[in-house]
Amino acid sequence: MINQSQFVLLIKITILAFIVGAINLPHLIELISPFWLLLFFVYWLIYSNSEGIYRFAFILGILLDVFQGGILGQNALALVISSAFILSVKKSFFVSNLTTQQVYIFITSLIYLALFLMTHIAVQGIQIQWLVVLTPFTGAILWPAVRFLLAKLKQ
Amino acid sequence: MRLLKLFVPIFLSIILIVLDARFSYLDSFKRFTLTLLSPIYLVVDLPSQVIDWVNDKGSENELLVSENDYLEGQLIELKAKLQTYNNLTLENQKLSNLLESSYLIPDHDVILARIKSISQSRLSRKIVINKGFNDGVKLSDLIIGSDGVVGQVTEVTPMYTTVRLLSDPTQYIPVKNARNGIRGVTKGLASNERGMTLKYIPLDSDIKLGDIFVTSGIGNSYPTGYSVGRVSSIDEEQEPSFMTIFLEPMQNMNSLELVLIVKEKND
Repeated sequence: MINQSQFVLLIKITILAFIVGAINLPHLIELISPFWLLLFFVYWLIYSNSEGIYRFAFILGILLDVFQGGILGQNALALVISSAFILSVKKSFFVSNLTTQQVYIFITSLIYLALFLMTHIAVQGIQIQWLVVLTPFTGAILWPAVRFLLAKLKQ
Repeated sequence: MRLLKLFVPIFLSIILIVLDARFSYLDSFKRFTLTLLSPIYLVVDLPSQVIDWVNDKGSENELLVSENDYLEGQLIELKAKLQTYNNLTLENQKLSNLLESSYLIPDHDVILARIKSISQSRLSRKIVINKGFNDGVKLSDLIIGSDGVVGQVTEVTPMYTTVRLLSDPTQYIPVKNARNGIRGVTKGLASNERGMTLKYIPLDSDIKLGDIFVTSGIGNSYPTGYSVGRVSSIDEEQEPSFMTIFLEPMQNMNSLELVLIVKEKND
């Protein structure tokens, strides 16, 4: 089981991710804005032990699906599989420099986006704005800022 | 064991996706969870509420008096227009009686609401408003602005309501041409932030640029007669026997602050 401080950090990170995700942004910026919950969850995942990761990823994904009024299970599936990728490179991620971490974040966001779009297309058809494919780039670019802010939150 | 830990949530997610896409078993779970999450809107809206409060405190009395005068003028003007409308309604009823028609002009109540948040998800177009089922809002209620239809209620919590905009690709609205009554169903366009299409209208139909489409009320899911969109272009080559019509919403969503929730009088 995860310890209490890790659990508290997860709660803080989740609330913050939901608040950041709910802020009104112009439509184009919103389209290319990163998957906030993914970035925040990756940070938590890196600094926690590996117990119950998929269970938490699933629950947070479901909460996000409900909050966004999307397809239930869409973000949950994407977050669980993206977490599996990060877990597989966790040791390397932990000791990497910032640029390498950004590459990992880019790949994770790409996996998340692919699953997110696959679910969306399977359920609603090809009804998407293609600017959304820029999301992994913005996720990777904003990772240093996210890491800095969450490190402050962790203290 | 590690693989099992991974595959169980994946399998559960897929089951939930299928259940949510095909059935409505999970609607009450979603409503309950959204109610638990709704305080987040309160936090997100706090800075703008503080700014509004500071602005209100800082407003000069003179400005408020002149605004009040202007609004009173508008109210009188609208009351005058309403008198004409009431007369027309009476005339319509008389004519309906003479013709033994069962058609009646629908009578609706409205609830005023303020927009809290716009578009929470990148692939859908939604707004959140500050009225919920405590105020009498129900699923599928129609939301209008001062110039036309805004969208339809998709989620209701005690204090907040999520509205799917009519430009969302999953939003369908039965409409008719206000000029000649030709019927169709609009659908939002993913590729165009402000557009809708109207498909499967026969090629020889009398549709012109600038025609206004209003809610038709077919299926009883929407009240009749509210402006939806104006014809911005017509494509006769996309389908062999049908024309594809592009509509521009009558309501400008960018400058929207207040909306009205339309309810049947007997609700």
